[in-house]
Amino acid sequence: VKHDAASFARRCRRIGLAWAALLALLLLSLGSAYLPLGRLNVVIGLVIAALKSALVLGLFMGLGRSAALARLAAAVAAGTLVLLFGLSSVDFATRVTEPAALQPPQQLRPLRQGGSGR
Amino acid sequence: MNSARIEATPAPRDAPQDTAQLGMWIFLATELLFFGGLFAAYAWGRTHWPEGFTAASRHTHVVLGTLNTALLLSSSALVALAAACAAEERRRRAAGRLLAGAALLGVAFLALKGVEYAKEWHEGLFPGPGFALAQHVGAELFFMLYFVMTGLHALHLLVGVGLLGAFAWGARRGSPWAGATRMEIAGLYWHFVDIVWIVLYPLLYLIGRAA
Repeated sequence: VKHDAASFARRCRRIGLAWAALLALLLLSLGSAYLPLGRLNVVIGLVIAALKSALVLGLFMGLGRSAALARLAAAVAAGTLVLLFGLSSVDFATRVTEPAALQPPQQLRPLRQGGSGR
Repeated sequence: MNSARIEATPAPRDAPQDTAQLGMWIFLATELLFFGGLFAAYAWGRTHWPEGFTAASRHTHVVLGTLNTALLLSSSALVALAAACAAEERRRRAAGRLLAGAALLGVAFLALKGVEYAKEWHEGLFPGPGFALAQHVGAELFFMLYFVMTGLHALHLLVGVGLLGAFAWGARRGSPWAGATRMEIAGLYWHFVDIVWIVLYPLLYLIGRAA
């Protein structure tokens, strides 16, 4: 029982530390977003998001402690996502861009009612 | 004869909780690919209309977004603590209280999100006629993705709140169905929804702040 209590306390401490680290990373990503770093802003934001996701996956979801099959399922999911992203970007990167993403909706000329005189 | 044969059958090597966890991980894999399509659409828009996306993302409410991120991260920590407690029978009720706390944080998230949507509606940021940032090509696409992604995320969170609420209630009553394994699996879903938001946060709220 004593050993269990110690391991329970250890697990709770780890969760508390992970929570503190997550909040610190949140503030770090918020702060870094206001530094004029150009393209690096997006990279830093995504790297911090990846770190936070890794903390949640590892310490909250216990992916490392899970059965090998569960880890395999997670790895296959991540791999498939990367593959689909890769294949999609090959298509979109080589496609000619249309001049406008979305055209503002406009009122069409009203159709002539009652025939056009023919 | 029959009973002898049953006895001779080797016990399955995987514990039932492993099988249940595997099921949830496979479900989460499909969810990842479901959200993945939207992230791919975002990447496409962002690389093709960087100016419009940057201009549009400056109009999201960064304080509310940050606050909501903190709420979700904290709720995930509570769910992880609940899973640690649920492993022992004598801490089952404490686990229920922690899950109830996490569900309440989820409700607070949804309420803040509602406030944010209302502000955006009044600022004319909802895509369609009269869109406020129509002069920036791509801004409307950004807000279309913003509403679809956060809306789908909110829907997932709503399901999670119901799930956690049910387990909190079950643990309080000591119902046998609200066991440790099932609680942990419900927690996996909640953490996944948290991770989706972790990635959405910089993409929707932060990318244009320094520009």
